[in-house]
Amino acid sequence: MPRAAGATVTALRVLGAVCGGYALTALTVAVGAVALSRAGMARSEAVALAAMLGFVLYLVLLLWGFSVRRVGRLWLGFGAGAAVMWALWRLLD
Amino acid sequence: MGDTFTKSMAALHTWAGVTIGALLFAIFWMGTLSVFSNEIDRWMLPDTRLEARDAATAPSLDRIAQAVVPGVPAGARQWRVDLPTARTPVVEFSYRGADGAEHGRLLDPSSYAFLPPQGSAGATGFIVPFHYHLHLNWMETGKWLVGVAAMTMLVMLVSGVIVHKKIIAQFFTFRPRKRLQRSALDLHNLTGVLALPFHFAIALSGLVIFMTIYFPQSYYGAYGSTAKDKAAFTAEAYGRYTRKPANAPGPLASLDAMRDRAEREWRGGQPYFVRVWNPGDANSYVELRRSYAHDMTMNLDQIYFDAATGEVLARFEAGPVMTVQRFFSGLHFVRFERWTLRWLYFLGGISGCVMIATGFLFWLEGRRARHAKHGLAGVAVVEGLTIGSVTGILLATSALFVANRLLPADAGYAGVDRAGMEIRVFYLVWVLAFCHAWGRCTRAWREQLWAIAGLCVLAVGLNWVTTGEHVLKALAQGQFAVAGMDLGLFATALLAMMALRRIKRA
Repeated sequence: MPRAAGATVTALRVLGAVCGGYALTALTVAVGAVALSRAGMARSEAVALAAMLGFVLYLVLLLWGFSVRRVGRLWLGFGAGAAVMWALWRLLD
Repeated sequence: MGDTFTKSMAALHTWAGVTIGALLFAIFWMGTLSVFSNEIDRWMLPDTRLEARDAATAPSLDRIAQAVVPGVPAGARQWRVDLPTARTPVVEFSYRGADGAEHGRLLDPSSYAFLPPQGSAGATGFIVPFHYHLHLNWMETGKWLVGVAAMTMLVMLVSGVIVHKKIIAQFFTFRPRKRLQRSALDLHNLTGVLALPFHFAIALSGLVIFMTIYFPQSYYGAYGSTAKDKAAFTAEAYGRYTRKPANAPGPLASLDAMRDRAEREWRGGQPYFVRVWNPGDANSYVELRRSYAHDMTMNLDQIYFDAATGEVLARFEAGPVMTVQRFFSGLHFVRFERWTLRWLYFLGGISGCVMIATGFLFWLEGRRARHAKHGLAGVAVVEGLTIGSVTGILLATSALFVANRLLPADAGYAGVDRAGMEIRVFYLVWVLAFCHAWGRCTRAWREQLWAIAGLCVLAVGLNWVTTGEHVLKALAQGQFAVAGMDLGLFATALLAMMALRRIKRA
């Protein structure tokens, strides 16, 4: 791979895994908190539980983001995840 | 990244380490010192070397109030006293003025008299906050940087385990007399694997403490996104009672009676701080929080009293999930009074420091020859970064302790008070250490190690000269915090000398 293309791919991967992974996690935390409170949990407790689990989810997403073979699949995967969460948010709202 | 899973994890481990390692070392070093923050406080604030008190002789809250209330200006929003503990033999009094700024004084719990201003932030005022926000308060930048470092730490622990497949074998392997590269890797693996559960738990619990900072939108869905929604979430999760001032004068009933009531409500649990909101107002109220000195979980139990009548206004106890959150917090804060565990935390912290430093050394030694041959600057840059962040921060900390004992009581310059000057010395020496490291390259290791050893011994000597206390005297008087700090400084000097010897053979 030419040097410039390699650098672009690396930048896309770091950006995707770190920022994309965080965005997906933050969205999942907020949606998860709503879902848990709808399931009958006190809403402050639901937020706390979702936020704590968020760190574990982010860790998994980071590791997956840095190990997945193709950087396109990383963006596709996170994009699909974000779309699902967004739909859930609309549904619960 | 890389063709196989293991290779991509190796690349991730290497590059995450090189970019975040320096920041991570600073956080680990300050966190390790924070384990003994109260003990370092006794050394840095000699007037507070009072005899430790037991809980049975808790000072009278009414006598404390008598002493401190005249010092609270009109219009203050609150004042607060933190009661003495087994580790802190003083009453910490503070108030928040009408402008929101906080002011503090220390009080002797036997005589109920103020101690003179200490002219130092101590460890709890500088080292502990450095550990969690790097003193970068603008937009919570420091907390976010620490959060990035903690997340990176988790990523590196997992990727590190995946990279090192022969983990059990490496657990028992340490070849201190081999080449530096080999020894560094052995030590990196040994500290990394031996303390793996500690490192994982400490990084994760650190993140959990600030979950509302790191996921600031977490409550948006369940509550809403306004400031009012945030206040509602905080009140429901962490507990908070508020009442608007009546803007008419009002009395303060007996605080001791309120404490007795709280202790009955808590079935023997004792308050660790008392806060009077809207003091002097007819709508003033008093907040008592239950101590967690003997629990891992930092409970959120709080009781609010009407200041004028002493009637209970509100009680709060955390829900089950928030209790788990406070368990994680307690796991990280080490506020409980267990000395064996405290020492294990300290050793865990040191092992983290060693792990990060040896990780850097392995990276450097593996590339030194190749970079020199191809004229690459990588090793020179990273070596300066390593020296500045490892020996540099040790040097800056030693300088902080020396400045603490050396600056005269009335020191001050250009609007910076004595406490501020101590902290400026720390940063100045740290910056100089980085410049020195990039200027002198590999030789800087040796020179900074010598300087650390010298400053540590000097700090012990200065403590003797300025306070009349040395290790034996402190031990005889039961001042274990002071003796421990002196011995710790000696141990640091000794370790620096041992590192010097090892470098010579490299």
